[in-house]
Amino acid sequence: MAVFMQSLISGILIGGVYALIGIGLTLIFGVMRVINFAHGDILMVGMYLTYMIFTLLGIDPFVSVLITFPLMFLFGGFLQKVFINRVLNALAQNQILLTIGLGLIMSNTVMLIFTSDYKILTTSYSSSTIQVGGGVSVSTPLLISFLITAAITATLYWFLLKTDTGQAIRATAQDRDAAQLMGINVKRMSIIAFGLGSALAGTAGALISPTYYIFPQVGGVFTLKAFVITVLGGMGSVVGATLGGILIGVTESMSAVYISSGWKDVIVFVLFLLVLLFKPSGLMGKSRT
Amino acid sequence: MTKTILKAAVVLLLLGFLLIIPRYVESPYALHMMILLFLSVSQGQSWNIVGGYAGQHSVGHAAYFGVGAYTTMMLMHTKQIAPWIGVWAGVALVVVVALAIGSICFRLRGPYFVLASIAVAEILRLSAINLTSLTNGAEGILATELPPFKIGGTIVTEFLTKVPFYYIGLFLVVLTIGITYLVQHSKLGYYFQAIREDQDAAHSLGISITLYKNIALVISAVLTSLAGSFYGIYVGFVDPPTVLGLDVSVQIMLICIIGGMGTLWGPVLGSLVLVPLSEALRSNMVTEVLIKVGLVNAESKVGIFLKENLSHAHVLLYGILVVLVILFMPDGLMGFVKKLATRWKREAV
Repeated sequence: MAVFMQSLISGILIGGVYALIGIGLTLIFGVMRVINFAHGDILMVGMYLTYMIFTLLGIDPFVSVLITFPLMFLFGGFLQKVFINRVLNALAQNQILLTIGLGLIMSNTVMLIFTSDYKILTTSYSSSTIQVGGGVSVSTPLLISFLITAAITATLYWFLLKTDTGQAIRATAQDRDAAQLMGINVKRMSIIAFGLGSALAGTAGALISPTYYIFPQVGGVFTLKAFVITVLGGMGSVVGATLGGILIGVTESMSAVYISSGWKDVIVFVLFLLVLLFKPSGLMGKSRT
Repeated sequence: MTKTILKAAVVLLLLGFLLIIPRYVESPYALHMMILLFLSVSQGQSWNIVGGYAGQHSVGHAAYFGVGAYTTMMLMHTKQIAPWIGVWAGVALVVVVALAIGSICFRLRGPYFVLASIAVAEILRLSAINLTSLTNGAEGILATELPPFKIGGTIVTEFLTKVPFYYIGLFLVVLTIGITYLVQHSKLGYYFQAIREDQDAAHSLGISITLYKNIALVISAVLTSLAGSFYGIYVGFVDPPTVLGLDVSVQIMLICIIGGMGTLWGPVLGSLVLVPLSEALRSNMVTEVLIKVGLVNAESKVGIFLKENLSHAHVLLYGILVVLVILFMPDGLMGFVKKLATRWKREAV
């Protein structure tokens, strides 16, 4: 039972970070109908940014989120304005290829600057744990990152539901043309959405940097995970992505414990295919014709 | 009519030229480059059938490439089965895999299809890593000793030089281009293009969409598997990332995108651009040229940096190329050339 509780809790904790990645992707898809294949690479840029801030300025990775978030927002806004904006009405495969290309540029530029060596960001609490009771212990960095994730997600929900800009973003996601007719600056909403999506991915990168290896190709895994999460939750649904992230986190951690850690990703992809086949609209998505 | 004859004559002349190259060129490096080119053309052309003509943009073609390469290499390594027999085992397996993938993924459209195709290829890659007893896991399979190729007791070739590989590669190119030509000029090709242009309209005209999508995928997968087997035999080594990785799928797709999707000569054009460029970067030629021309000082910090790192980043060039092509020539080089040609014709009139 302790093993079960242990893997459940660590699954939920890592799932929180996955949710952040998924929400970013789903926001971008919702507003622009563009599948961002560079999402994991944006996360990777966030990781390196955190690494640099940590090694050069000595700022703790969890504190540096305050710097990473706005910087990654600007980076995302720039990507949208210069590249993505030009293919909004293009064929789906061209959009996908463009983002794949951007991802390749990011990972290889980072490789040129930092080489492909694995980097480790070691903090004083990197390997410390907290006893919860009942033989269950929780990794401190995972717990902190989960709490930050929860705070960010709550703020994001408030932003999307209560503020004018948030409502404009949701209106754009619902019907781009109608939103434009209502006087919403759709172009600006797209920039904000891509900026927010990138900021969330970058923040997720910052939050996992104390527990993950940092290397230029790390993004690929997260891009794929982000897709699984968003499809599971329903493309474009923020609530769905939150649930999807936690579900994937728990699935991974359970299958690592009860099956084998080598097969955990296979199980996630099989789950993904099953959802695509039997409920392509996802857990929270409305079926589209 | 005369135009068709002229075209055929040019193609035959080119083929004749390619056939006699190994008689006059002995440099193994030049032959190696040609083999890489052949491999790239056949990969791109295979993808073209399902991606370019039928409009199903699979980003999981590494699955077929890898299954072909792995089956041939596994049979050769563990059961001592000659690769020219193992190839057909690979083809048989790939047909099964393609039909399985098709029946799952073709229920989905657009972005969902793309994601599903990636997921299937990733499942295969992870399985190849985990099924250690079968595939030797992440270490891969090394098998460089090829048995001599015999027909009825007489030895045709012992694979001592690159020449036999050159001819196999050329054969693959002729095969893939030939099949694409046949498809393009048959009812099948029109069905594929109808599905690409408007799936629902094609369906209402009585074309069985799932059937023809699967046919396109199987043709494409079989050809990709042949290319994969050829790669495995030629290089003598396969491991999960080099034949089953997502990069492989993206590279296969890129050949077509850069050259021009759904055109007979697009993949050839794409390969002619991509293969020399990535080879020039990989072998550090670019840095050497920059130094020779005098743009970069060999002893300066920039020169040393480029020398050490540029060869690792040849994929960076792929990225930049894709972005430029998508933004400025969405129909690829073929589309660009055609546009120039029509403009030139109009001005001539």
